[in-house]
Amino acid sequence: MINQSLWVLLLPLIGFVILGILGRVMSRAAIRTVAWGACGLAFLFAVWNFFSMLGTPAGAGRVNDAMIYHWVISGSLQIDLGLLLDPLSATMLLVVTGVGLLIHIYAAGYMEDDPSFWRFFAYMNFFIFAMVLLVAADNFLFLLVGWGLVGLASFLLIGFWYQRRSAVAAAQKAFVINVIGDLGLMLAIFLLFNVFGKIDYTSVLGNPGLLSFGSGTATAIALLLFVACAAKSAQLPLYMWLPDAMEGPTPVSALIHAATMVTAGVYLVARTHVLFELAPIALNVVAGIGGATALFAATIALFQLDIKRVLAYSTISQLGYMFMAEGVHNYSAGIFHLVTHAFFKALLFLGAGAVIHALGGEQDMRKMGGLWSRMRITAWTFLAATFAISGIIPFAGFWSKDEILGSVLAQATATGNIWYYVLWGVGLLTAGLTAFYMFRLFFGIFTGSYRGGAVVAHTEEEEENGDEEAAGHGHHGPVGYYYIQEVPPVMSVPLIILGILSVIGGFLGSLALFNVPLARWAPLPNFLTPIFSDVKTAHEVSLGLDWTSTGASLVIALIGIGIAWSLYRKGFAYKENKNPLYQLVLHKYYVDELCNAVIITPILALGRFLNWGIEGGALDNGSKGIGSLLRGTSSVLRRLQTGYMRNYALAILLGVVLIVIYYAVRG
Amino acid sequence: MPLSAYLIMSAILFTIGTIGVLVRRNPLIIFMSIELMLNAVNLSFVAFSHFLDSADGQMFVFIVLTVAAAEVVVGLAIIVSIFRTRRNIDVDEMNVLRG
Repeated sequence: MINQSLWVLLLPLIGFVILGILGRVMSRAAIRTVAWGACGLAFLFAVWNFFSMLGTPAGAGRVNDAMIYHWVISGSLQIDLGLLLDPLSATMLLVVTGVGLLIHIYAAGYMEDDPSFWRFFAYMNFFIFAMVLLVAADNFLFLLVGWGLVGLASFLLIGFWYQRRSAVAAAQKAFVINVIGDLGLMLAIFLLFNVFGKIDYTSVLGNPGLLSFGSGTATAIALLLFVACAAKSAQLPLYMWLPDAMEGPTPVSALIHAATMVTAGVYLVARTHVLFELAPIALNVVAGIGGATALFAATIALFQLDIKRVLAYSTISQLGYMFMAEGVHNYSAGIFHLVTHAFFKALLFLGAGAVIHALGGEQDMRKMGGLWSRMRITAWTFLAATFAISGIIPFAGFWSKDEILGSVLAQATATGNIWYYVLWGVGLLTAGLTAFYMFRLFFGIFTGSYRGGAVVAHTEEEEENGDEEAAGHGHHGPVGYYYIQEVPPVMSVPLIILGILSVIGGFLGSLALFNVPLARWAPLPNFLTPIFSDVKTAHEVSLGLDWTSTGASLVIALIGIGIAWSLYRKGFAYKENKNPLYQLVLHKYYVDELCNAVIITPILALGRFLNWGIEGGALDNGSKGIGSLLRGTSSVLRRLQTGYMRNYALAILLGVVLIVIYYAVRG
Repeated sequence: MPLSAYLIMSAILFTIGTIGVLVRRNPLIIFMSIELMLNAVNLSFVAFSHFLDSADGQMFVFIVLTVAAAEVVVGLAIIVSIFRTRRNIDVDEMNVLRG
């Protein structure tokens, strides 16, 4: 098997360097060519990796650890830049570079008018490089490097329109919360080094015997790793940065904050599942947080008015599903949902971007509607993705969500633990909520009559979500209905490709649900199985249970769709609603306000006190005191330096005389 | 003559030289005074050399003479360049390094 990961890693970096240095003077076509070329070639190498892996019999031959160079050799600690190619990283590389390539193509259309075109693509290539480093690294240190660099790329891209205060604030928020996660990862690595003496995957994940099952250390390591995952993948309570990250350009939201970067946490749990298997408490935390986040974010998404915010909360919710799967030992289901989610969520964001683009920067659902007949391609692909995320057979999301819910139910029946039944119920409820808010979004954008020209009552919410955010993408005021046009091919082709993937992507997974001759067909799970072969506790999902779970989730999703249909099929009509529960959900449970009051205000007050009391009072006056003491002393002593040669000569003479007298007296 | 006579002579010459360095304002005179101090030391070197019956002292005298010559060269060059810039070589006027 040939390991081409080095090229997958280097090509986007080369693209970034070229664009970063020369981008300012390059033409748009040249910038586009470099960015697409770097990402496209990386994708080709990832495909090459994948097929050369398929050509190798399953087993140890499919794991290749390419050592690039020794970076640190210090005692027992040896850190190499090594690129690990195994089924898990091969899958991730395909998703990252493949979806990344489609979004690069789309972004060339979306960002066409932006004056910082080159800067955008330099950052995008940099992100692909960082993400490839994250998934291809063969040790925890380079994982951390990649982990930090994707955070940096995310920061740069959220704050891409740095002229807007809100974008800068959102970028800082994302960076700060991500650093909390980086700290968790770092502490976990310290603990791992303490236990194993090495930090490469082979030494750590290959020798789980060094950690005893259920021990405090194992639990601490797994929980610290999960802190990192929760921050990167926007799980409770570290999710707050993701909705604000929608300040970035929409292709960024699609690539980083929906399809790839936020799945890094899911990848890390799968990668280090050996450690999580040793810590059942931590695994329960993963499942619990995943379930809670899925439900929590789905309820917030119900009544949001900004279309990107609906999608942001749905991303958080879907990531919760992935962690739920990993929490019940079904890691390959988590990765499977990661893959299908990357397809349909990227598509949803790109579709939303197409709508925003066509409406001249409008993101408020109250000013949309009736676009079905104006934007046919966008509408059809958006509909496919909406079906996929709602879990309707046979779209992609159905298969992966079904597998997750089925394995949660199997875990519940196998252990008899009531909490797993609760988790299953939460998953079902979330599926219904998802179907409802996604179809509300769809009907709001595409059906009914166009509301863009109409004057909407000026509310506080509008000020927050509508005007200010729309200001970034060249908001020219309402676009007349007959001026709305379908997006150009450079944007619609990626939509169509992702649309096809959203329809058929689910067939990568198991078709065991249908007890037909094709039942052995399960390419992705079979491909990933060797990675997770050491997981003993994964419960085989029986056909009956599987159908119970599937049937229930389908029914609930259809109910959700039905409610959305009955309320919004004739178009979305916004009504002021004073119901306190509605206001609570609309304002995202006031979490941001709570956060401000409980964390940020005290920290600011403490900072002000430190600035005034410690910095100003103690430190400044202390150092000023030392300074003035020295100055006073020296103003006296400098008188000795008269500048007259004779005085110096006399001083030398006196010194010599004194020395002579000293020796004469001493004898 | 005893050794002490040479040493007393040397000390007298050295003291005259020292006082010359300290009190005179013309740098040329100061240089001459320095020469006087060096030669006072040379005198005691030679005297010791004679009385101890060793050639080491005379060797030192040669070194001292060489160094003195070199020092005068450098010193005169400095004086010339000071004169060129300031038109004056009175040492009491030169106190720009005052603290």
